[in-house]
Amino acid sequence: MITTRSYSCVSFCRRLLRKKLINTHHYKTPITYKFYTGKQHFSDFTKSKISTQCLIKEITEVSRDHLTPEISLQLITPNCPLWHSGEDQCPFPDPFWAFYWPGGQALTRFILDNGELFRGKTVVDVGCGCGASSIACRMVVAAHVIANDIDTVAAEAVELNTELNNVTQTTVTTSNLVGCHDNRWDILLFGDMFYDTNFANVITEWVVSLYTNGVTIFIGDPGRLPFEQHPLKSDLKMVAEYALPENCLKENNGLSCGFVWKYEPGNT
Amino acid sequence: MSLRILVGCKRVIDYAVKVRVKPDKLGVVTDGVKHSMNPFDEIAMEEAMRMKEKKLASEVIAVSCGPQQSQETLRTALAMGADRAIHVKIEPKDYETLQPFHVSKILAKIAVEEKIDLVVLGKQAIDDDCNQTGQMTAGLLDWPQGTFVSKVEKVNNHLSVLREIDGGLETVKVSIPAVLTADLRLNEPRYATLPNIMKAKKKPLAVKSVADYGVDISPRQEVLSVEDPPTREAGQKVESVDDLVQKLKDGGFV
Repeated sequence: MITTRSYSCVSFCRRLLRKKLINTHHYKTPITYKFYTGKQHFSDFTKSKISTQCLIKEITEVSRDHLTPEISLQLITPNCPLWHSGEDQCPFPDPFWAFYWPGGQALTRFILDNGELFRGKTVVDVGCGCGASSIACRMVVAAHVIANDIDTVAAEAVELNTELNNVTQTTVTTSNLVGCHDNRWDILLFGDMFYDTNFANVITEWVVSLYTNGVTIFIGDPGRLPFEQHPLKSDLKMVAEYALPENCLKENNGLSCGFVWKYEPGNT
Repeated sequence: MSLRILVGCKRVIDYAVKVRVKPDKLGVVTDGVKHSMNPFDEIAMEEAMRMKEKKLASEVIAVSCGPQQSQETLRTALAMGADRAIHVKIEPKDYETLQPFHVSKILAKIAVEEKIDLVVLGKQAIDDDCNQTGQMTAGLLDWPQGTFVSKVEKVNNHLSVLREIDGGLETVKVSIPAVLTADLRLNEPRYATLPNIMKAKKKPLAVKSVADYGVDISPRQEVLSVEDPPTREAGQKVESVDDLVQKLKDGGFV
């Protein structure tokens, strides 16, 4: 828990003040809370947080050029120098959060088009990256959203993006939630998480036990081979299919559609 | 019919580097020198990706036979869009004597094991200019070959291949499975963008040994010497055609 210090100069610090409610749910694994104060003398923690977010804004641009133009996101696009450069130029390691992957786009589109499925629910967005799916859940009035990504820089990006879209009631956590359970979870989202065969194998058991505990699981994937060949696939029911936008097609080597799947063993 | 494609990628000294002969005159300097994927292999890789984008291919596998650093070349192939990669690791001393004959045996074995429908290679490597691997691989597999390809299309269940040959252009009908070798004008390869470089790191890269394929890579050749090409001598200018004829007669050429 980050301790807060009292401040006096509100107007100066207004743009730094984050209006977020601290989640009071109790999880089996400790959750890192994000809570900001504005103050005249910034702590090192606050300073580094500001510089990370400033750097994110510097290397990305605000984009609506994707399957969900209702949501603005700080992304590395073809207009950004980093798009064309190698990894060495990027100040952050593995900036997966800087891209809006097709599986995530499909899942977010599904959420926006099927708001009634998410309204009033507690949703966990695993591997949230830029946080688009989490933002969409709040836009369709999910009761509570937990945006989860083990990358601490992703957590900063999610905060920037939630602010960009005037979304609140979102908790960001960088804990590794794989294997965790909470009775209050209603829905779990995996937006384009199956590009990594290792990760796909690790979550299989988790998905099964979540389902047994009454959690609905939605997966967004553009048809990546590790996903197509995964044993989980036979228990998935397709609930949506979207044609990917032009800019997505260029980067996705033959994957032209984004699909959304619901875990429903025995019902396919 | 969705094709499974195998693309060969060789790590070679970068085309822009000035190559220097080693002091022992048995090879060229490779330590500390910039290496990259053989340009014709990049073209081969690009063609495989275009087939995948046209939904003609279901999976593209990149393969490289070489030392540890060949994995960098394979990561580039993965960043261009290959689904997975196979690195056949060769010890540095064996690599010095590795020839297209050995590589084609390895590729043939992989093609059978991975149930490949199409092997796409660069027409030749820019370090040895052998222009043999594609042809030998086809021979070992007893598959048809389309070499020096400048255009390839799938027509029903075969390939229509346009070849650039000395006399001009030749169109051949090639049945599948087949081996193709890519020529310069086949396409222009894409640059790997950052999102694809990142995705590439998560794609599977299997490391295998020559023994896994039961191939004998003992050398069949011995390099006797490597020398710089002779420096170009100055020419002579003549004032008229008669002078030219006289000079040629003097030189014993006419």
